[in-house]
Amino acid sequence: MMASNAVRRCTIFGWIFVLAMVLGSAQYACAKDDKAPYPSMAPLDQYLMGRDAEIAMARSAAPEAISRDAEILVLGQHGYETAVKGKNGFVCDVERSWMGPFEKNPEFWNPKVRGAGCYNPQAARSVLPIAYLRTKLALAGLSPAEIAEGIKAAYAKKELPPVEPGAMSFMMSKQTYLTDRGITSDGAHNMAHVMFFTALMDTANWGANLDNSPILLNPQFNGSPEPVEVYMVCTGAWSDGTPAPVS
Amino acid sequence: MSRKIIKTISLGSFVLVIALSPAWPTQAQESGALYERMAPIDQYLMTDRNTEIAFARTAAPESISRDAEVWVFGRHGYEAAVKGKNGWVCIVERSWMAPFDDPEFLNPDQRVPLCLNPPAARTHLPLTFKTTELAMAGQSKTQMFDSIKAAYDKNELPLPEPGSMCYMLSKQQFFSHRVGNGDPHLMFWFPQKDHQDWGADFPGSPIDIHQYSPQPITEFDISVSKWSDGTAAPAN
Repeated sequence: MMASNAVRRCTIFGWIFVLAMVLGSAQYACAKDDKAPYPSMAPLDQYLMGRDAEIAMARSAAPEAISRDAEILVLGQHGYETAVKGKNGFVCDVERSWMGPFEKNPEFWNPKVRGAGCYNPQAARSVLPIAYLRTKLALAGLSPAEIAEGIKAAYAKKELPPVEPGAMSFMMSKQTYLTDRGITSDGAHNMAHVMFFTALMDTANWGANLDNSPILLNPQFNGSPEPVEVYMVCTGAWSDGTPAPVS
Repeated sequence: MSRKIIKTISLGSFVLVIALSPAWPTQAQESGALYERMAPIDQYLMTDRNTEIAFARTAAPESISRDAEVWVFGRHGYEAAVKGKNGWVCIVERSWMAPFDDPEFLNPDQRVPLCLNPPAARTHLPLTFKTTELAMAGQSKTQMFDSIKAAYDKNELPLPEPGSMCYMLSKQQFFSHRVGNGDPHLMFWFPQKDHQDWGADFPGSPIDIHQYSPQPITEFDISVSKWSDGTAAPAN
């Protein structure tokens, strides 16, 4: 392979992931309200993990060479707290379901969701604050619409920073659980990828989601309300170097 | 991975593989001597304009390149061959866009198609055109290095705009005799002064970095699984 470790395949399944996030929710939308799988926030305990397990999972988002010196956050009763101080500017955490899209997202309160990420310094400064605020508002018992309003207001008051150029993160944890739906051919609920964060722009500027493009637009933020685009490129390898599911 | 250290790609494109096999020093010496001087211009040209247009477009999926502007290399430098509609520009770069320390810097066989997104078209193409002009003027590598440095020092060449990137997914791309066709990959450019940290080149990282000189540009490369035509790239 040319550029270090294999960054392999999963374009098709990345599409499935994106489609699952955006269009797949339609299946839930069509369902009767009383069958909505996660209509409201579950008891907080269901979202919490053991501290050591959460530290280890957060670190598994990136290769050990990066995450071993990263700051590690864990979710506590009152929000994220620093569990391990870092040395290299990267910050790793395990994000919960409320980091998903606000609209047409039936899994917004899915307590099984665990998304391990390691943010580079640019993203730690300019994207991670979104996670802090969403989490704070979620733990305060707000509805998705109220959380979205809170985020919108924070941007309006410049309490949340604009995304910095070069902001990116690793999401290469084998343990991550993104959705109840299988998003790879083997039915996994996860895929190894890196994410790039930009200010809102014409997504055609990166050729995202076009036929055969390896770049996917993740609808996670997308201006609703965060003024941030999230692009994904599959890596085809987990953080431990083993091949990620492909086809 | 145990037999070779894989590094980098050029600003315009070229993956530099430093092979650690016993044959490497000999190969480097030979290719370095072989490509020390510019070959006759004909050797850098493609047989016909339409072939080069089609080749340039293979850098990106057809969904992107079909509406891109396309430039071709002629006896007097690059010229616009096809007007675009989507702000992207596809071009086949030649060996002088490789790093200055590349032993195949003037290898006339090198053909590297890129499709640049709109920010990169505005900020990378001027470097391609300038470097090509210097090569065609017969400057030595040292002279070219100094000229490019001076151009950046005087702000005659732009730094990468935020979001500058390109696709290099052509199955027919040819980097060098050592590297061959390489992998399909994406490249992202930043000013070096931004001090970007993408965790590149760490063991297990899917991202490579190249710091150019004298261009004050940082390049990140990430391999992808498929060529522009949708076929799978070999998984080495």
